[in-house]
Amino acid sequence: MGQLDIDSVRRLLPGREIQYWPSLPTTMTEAQRLANAGAPHGTVAVADEQTAGQGTHGRTWHSAPGEGLYCTVILRPKLPPDTLPVVTLALGVAAASAIAVETGVACDLRWPNDILARGRKLGGILTQLHGAAIVTGIGINVDQAAFPAELAETATSLRIESSRESRRASGRGQRRETLLAALLTAIDEHIALLEQHGRDPILRAFARSSSYVEGRRVTVTSGDTNLVGTTAGLDECGFLRLRKDNGETILILAGGVRPI
Amino acid sequence: MTIDEIRELIQVVRETGVAELEVQRGDNRVRIKLGGAVQEYIAMPAAMSPGPAPQPVSAAAAPAAPAVDPANDPNLILVKSPIVGTFYASPSPGAPAFVQAGDRVTPGKVLCIIESMKLMNEIECEVSGTIVARLVESGQPVEYGEALYSVRPS
Repeated sequence: MGQLDIDSVRRLLPGREIQYWPSLPTTMTEAQRLANAGAPHGTVAVADEQTAGQGTHGRTWHSAPGEGLYCTVILRPKLPPDTLPVVTLALGVAAASAIAVETGVACDLRWPNDILARGRKLGGILTQLHGAAIVTGIGINVDQAAFPAELAETATSLRIESSRESRRASGRGQRRETLLAALLTAIDEHIALLEQHGRDPILRAFARSSSYVEGRRVTVTSGDTNLVGTTAGLDECGFLRLRKDNGETILILAGGVRPI
Repeated sequence: MTIDEIRELIQVVRETGVAELEVQRGDNRVRIKLGGAVQEYIAMPAAMSPGPAPQPVSAAAAPAAPAVDPANDPNLILVKSPIVGTFYASPSPGAPAFVQAGDRVTPGKVLCIIESMKLMNEIECEVSGTIVARLVESGQPVEYGEALYSVRPS
């Protein structure tokens, strides 16, 4: 598996600030440094390999060299504070659309930040707010032919999904490069949509792209609490409504949603 | 303890002429001292209950009196949540808290995380000082503008 051809990405996106490293502990730390140094909106930190990839709440993200797309984008959107969390949802919609266009793989979005295919994790989004900048990491499994046994039932890659669907035999060559360019372009478009038209178009797009928003039996884990219920749509802020079995509907602000 | 109850206590102090009266009821402790022209009181919730805390009776409290209610002391700075979300006092489950009461902090020091739809908002201290109290339990939902920590600036 070849090294990411970052020059071809730069050719596809002239004018974009792209910082590339063959190997990094995590693109999040570098992007935070760039953001603190005043990097402009849209600046992206890309690595071929992460030796300490970050998931949410200190979890790690399996980031082998050459197999995935690991990048962190710095965003400086002009948004009111109550709209900032919707950026996570906007990025999911952007990633799903870029993946569909570039690879034909249909994604499902699991509120708020998981990108799934066939119910398995294809990618994830980690969003952090640092002052006025949003630093958002996106990891997408691209070229993995298989996963370690402990992840085999819960993770997948674009390569696995493509070969299952008898599309292109493998995801080699330019695929990560064109996917990265398409992803960054889609992020620009969806953030602009959020800035110009508010939350509603993004929330509707998310609901269309997600099997988890409505009528799904789930458990929600937040801190030490576990809740069980059926999802009942998003509220106007983008929070997930959960109808518990006693009929009470509560609003999920944060937490991990898993199917039952 | 209600404002009316505190007013009654102040009245008792005035009428009896005692120099100082301290009363504890539930989570609230009130001390009323006769200090020249103004009466002052100190209220301290023993637990960080989010219920309404009594407001100062006199705005002209003597400067030497340390008021220790972390949600009401005008000398303390409240660090407030910029978004609706879930409050986390530590970077990951089981990890030590970012800060404890008594810790010295400087601008830029991360105090906590507010998670809203997986948007991780690291709340940084904006002043130099000492953490007086954490006002929210880790894992609890917080509203926009809700006070998270009180800091005594130095």
